[in-house]
Amino acid sequence: MIILHRLVRLVIVLLVVTFLSYAMLALLPGDPVTQILGIGANDEARAQLRQELGLDEPLLVRYAGWLGALLTGDFGTSPITRVPVAAELAERLPVTLELLVAAQVVALGLAIPVGIAAARRAGRALDQVLTALSFALLSTPVFVLGVLLILLFAVTWQVVPATGWTPISVDLGWNITSVLLPAVTLGCGQLAVYARLLRADLIATLQEDYITLARARGLSPRRILWRHALRPSAISLITAVGLNMGALIGGTVIIETLFGLPGIGRLIVDSIFSRDYLTVQGGVVLISVGYVLVNFAVDVVYAAVDPRIRRA
Amino acid sequence: MKRWRGPAALSLATLLLVACSGQRPVAVPENTSSAAPSGPEKGGRLVYGLSADANGLNPVTDQFAAQSYSMVGTVIEPLVTVEANGEWKPYLAESLTPNETYDEWAVKVRPGISFHDGLALTGDVVKANLEAQKASPLNNAVLVPVKSFELTDPMTVTVKLSQPWVAFPYYLAAQIGMIVPPASLRDPKTASLKPVGTGPFVFKEYVPDSRMVVTKNPGYWRDGLPYLDEIEFRILPDSQTRAQTLEAGGIDAMGTTRDEDITKYGGQKDAYSVHRAEGMAVPEYMFLLNTAVAPLDDLRVRKALAHALDRATIIKTLRGGLTEEADGPWSKDSKWYADGGAYPDYDLAKATALVKEVEAEKGPVTFEIISTPDPNTMQGIELAQDMWRKAGVDVTIKQADQADLINRAVTGNYAATVWVQFSSPDPDGEYIWMHQAYSKPVGQVSLNFTRLRDDKLSKAFDVGRMNPDESARKQAYATVQERLRELVPFVFVDHLNTGAIITRTKVHGIGEQLLPDGEKGLALTGSPVPYHPFSQLWVSKQ
Repeated sequence: MIILHRLVRLVIVLLVVTFLSYAMLALLPGDPVTQILGIGANDEARAQLRQELGLDEPLLVRYAGWLGALLTGDFGTSPITRVPVAAELAERLPVTLELLVAAQVVALGLAIPVGIAAARRAGRALDQVLTALSFALLSTPVFVLGVLLILLFAVTWQVVPATGWTPISVDLGWNITSVLLPAVTLGCGQLAVYARLLRADLIATLQEDYITLARARGLSPRRILWRHALRPSAISLITAVGLNMGALIGGTVIIETLFGLPGIGRLIVDSIFSRDYLTVQGGVVLISVGYVLVNFAVDVVYAAVDPRIRRA
Repeated sequence: MKRWRGPAALSLATLLLVACSGQRPVAVPENTSSAAPSGPEKGGRLVYGLSADANGLNPVTDQFAAQSYSMVGTVIEPLVTVEANGEWKPYLAESLTPNETYDEWAVKVRPGISFHDGLALTGDVVKANLEAQKASPLNNAVLVPVKSFELTDPMTVTVKLSQPWVAFPYYLAAQIGMIVPPASLRDPKTASLKPVGTGPFVFKEYVPDSRMVVTKNPGYWRDGLPYLDEIEFRILPDSQTRAQTLEAGGIDAMGTTRDEDITKYGGQKDAYSVHRAEGMAVPEYMFLLNTAVAPLDDLRVRKALAHALDRATIIKTLRGGLTEEADGPWSKDSKWYADGGAYPDYDLAKATALVKEVEAEKGPVTFEIISTPDPNTMQGIELAQDMWRKAGVDVTIKQADQADLINRAVTGNYAATVWVQFSSPDPDGEYIWMHQAYSKPVGQVSLNFTRLRDDKLSKAFDVGRMNPDESARKQAYATVQERLRELVPFVFVDHLNTGAIITRTKVHGIGEQLLPDGEKGLALTGSPVPYHPFSQLWVSKQ
C-alpha cells in the first residue's frame, strides 16, 4: 500500500516538475529562432522557422504535445543541433553517472573513517580538528575548491590532468585520472555532511543501554563499534546519501563546466544559453525522474527496514 | 594503526592503478628555449583549447562563430581567403574575375582538388554549394544582391548580381564560401556532426561539448602540407581552467580574450608565445544606442554620452592599458581608417552642458542599459554608468543573457547595450549593419540595430560596394566614419585587440602561413577570440 501511495505522489511530482520546467523555459526572454538562424536572417525565414518549431502554438498545446511524445519515449529532436534529445542525453548520462558515483565513493570512503574517529574521540583535540576541517569544507564553494585542486594537483604537481574526459571504454586508467579531481571536488562538500552526521549518530548510539551492556560483557571497543554501533548509526547516513543526490546533481553543472566534462549538467547549461528548449526539458525530466526515483527507493527501503513507517 | 589498513590499501591501489595506466595525459618538462628551430618538423599532435563548442559543423545550415571556423576550417576550405594586407585572394578558386561593371563574377575552380570522400571539386559542386547558401535562411539577407549562379564551363561558376558588388569575393572567404561535397548537401544532419571537405585534415571524431579530433589528410592538394599528424580541439568554457590546463600541459594552445592572460603569458616568453589580432581583424567594443527611442533619439544626448565617457580610464581600468581608444569601426592601423571628423572626445563640461540643454526642454535624461551578467562586462557598464551620472544622465542597468540581449537588439526592444562587432576584412562587410535599407521600426527585425537612417552614410556605403576604384572607396568609407562621428549611433570605447592565441613555445607557424599562390596570409581574424589556419602549424619535438 505504501508503495502505491508513493507511486501516485511520484506521478504528481513529475507532472508538476515537467510543467513548471516547460513553462519557465517558454517564458524566458530571448528567441530560439534568432539563436538558430543568427542575427542576419530576415522576417520570412524567422516566421517559417517559428511555425516549424511550433512556437506559434499556445503554451498548453505545446506542453501537451511534448508530454504525449515523452510518454512514448520520444524526447524530440534538438532544433539547434538537429540530434535526437534522447541520443544526446544517452551519450552524456554515463559521464554524469560516473561522476556522481565517484563523488559518493570519495565522500563515503573518507566520511566513514573520519566520522568514526571523531565519534570515538568526541570533544577531544582530534574531534575538534576534524570538526573544524568539516566546516571549512562545507563553507568552501565547489568552484573555489575545484580551482584550488587544479592549481595544486594539475598545475603545480602535474599528477592528474586539469581538464578533459576519457571514457572507460577508451582507457580505464585515463578515465580514473580524468574523474579523480572532479569527483574529489564534488565529494568534499558531501564528505563533511556525512562525517558530521555519522559522528552525531555514533555518539548517540554509543550512549545506548545495549552498548553499555556490551561493554559490561567485556566485548572489545573495536567489536562494539563495528558490529553493534556502526550499523544502526548508518541508517540516517544511507538516507542522506539518497537525498543528497539532488545536491550532487546541482553540483555537476558547475563541476562539468569547470573540468570540461561532457555530462548532462554541461549539456543543460549550454542548452539554456542557446535556447535549446527541448534539450533542457529532456535533461530536466531525466534529472527529476532520477531524483524522484532515488527518493522513492529510499522511502521503500526505509519502510522495509523500519516497521513504524510501514504502519504510518 | 591496523584499523586504517583497509582505506590505506584502497588509496594505494587507486594510486597504483593511476600510475600504471599508461602514458599520463599531463605535460612533460620541455625545453624552455624560445629560439625557433631551423624549420618545420613534420608529425606530432596539437591539443588546442577552445572557449565554446560549435553550434554544428555544417557551413550551409549552422551559424558559425569563431570557434566553428577553427574547428571546421581544418576540414572544409573556402573559395577565397585574405592575405596579410587584407586583400582577398583565391583559395579553392583559381581566380575570381569580375565583368566591367562588377555585377558578374566568374569563379573559376582550382583543378586537381578532391574531397575527402574522393569526389573531384568541380564547377557544378561549387554552384550547388552557393545555391544552397543562397537558399539558407542564415545568409539570405547577405546574398540579396545575388540573382543567379550559372555554370559557364565545367570549372567555372558565374555569379550574376542585381548591382555592382566590388567586395563580393570577401564574402566567399567566410562561411558562405566554404565548399562541401554533394553528399553533405543532401544530408545536412550528418554534415552537422561529421564534416567532409577538401581540407588539410580529415574528420576523425566529435564529442559535443568535449572535443573534436582531425587527422592529417595524406592526399591534400597542397604539396607537403599539413605538418601535423593530428589536432584535438578541446572545449574548455571556463577561462581560468583553460589557462590552468595550458600551464599543466593538457593543451598546447588556446584562444583568450582576457588581458590578464596576455600580460601574464606575454611576460613568460621562454614558455609561451602570444599572438594578437591586428588591423581590420580587431573588433570594436562599444555602446550600441537605439536612435529610434527616447531619449537616445536626441543627438545631443548621444553626443553627451560620448563626451562623458573617459575611454582612457576604461582602458586603463579594464584592459590593463593594452588596447587603443576607438573613434570608429576600423582601427587606426588599417588602410580604411580615416582621421578627421570630430568624434565627441572626453569633455565632461560639454557633456554636462548638453544634458542640461536637453533637460530644460524635455526633463531628466534617463535610460536603461542592458548588460550580460558576466563580471567583466558589468564592471565596464558600471564604470560608464558612473561617468554618465557625473554628466547628469541617470542610467539603470538591466541584466540579460546573451540570447535575450541579441533578441532585444534585433527587435529594437532596448535603449542602449554593450556590443562588440566590426571585424570584417573589408568595410563592405558592415553594409547590412549600418545601411538605412536594413533599418526597420521598433518591433520589427532590423539588422541595423541602432536604427539610424542616414542618407549620406548609406550612399557612402553604396559607393564603397559598387565603385572598384580604391581611392573612391576610401573616400566613401571616410564619409561613413565622419557620419558615425557626427551622429553617434555607437559610443565607441576601444579597439578590442585583447583577442589572442596563446601557445606553448613548441608550437610554431601561427600567423606565418603562405597562400597557394605564394602570398603571406592574414595572421589572425575573427572575434572575440581570433582564429587562423592550421595546415602550416607544427610542433617542435626537442
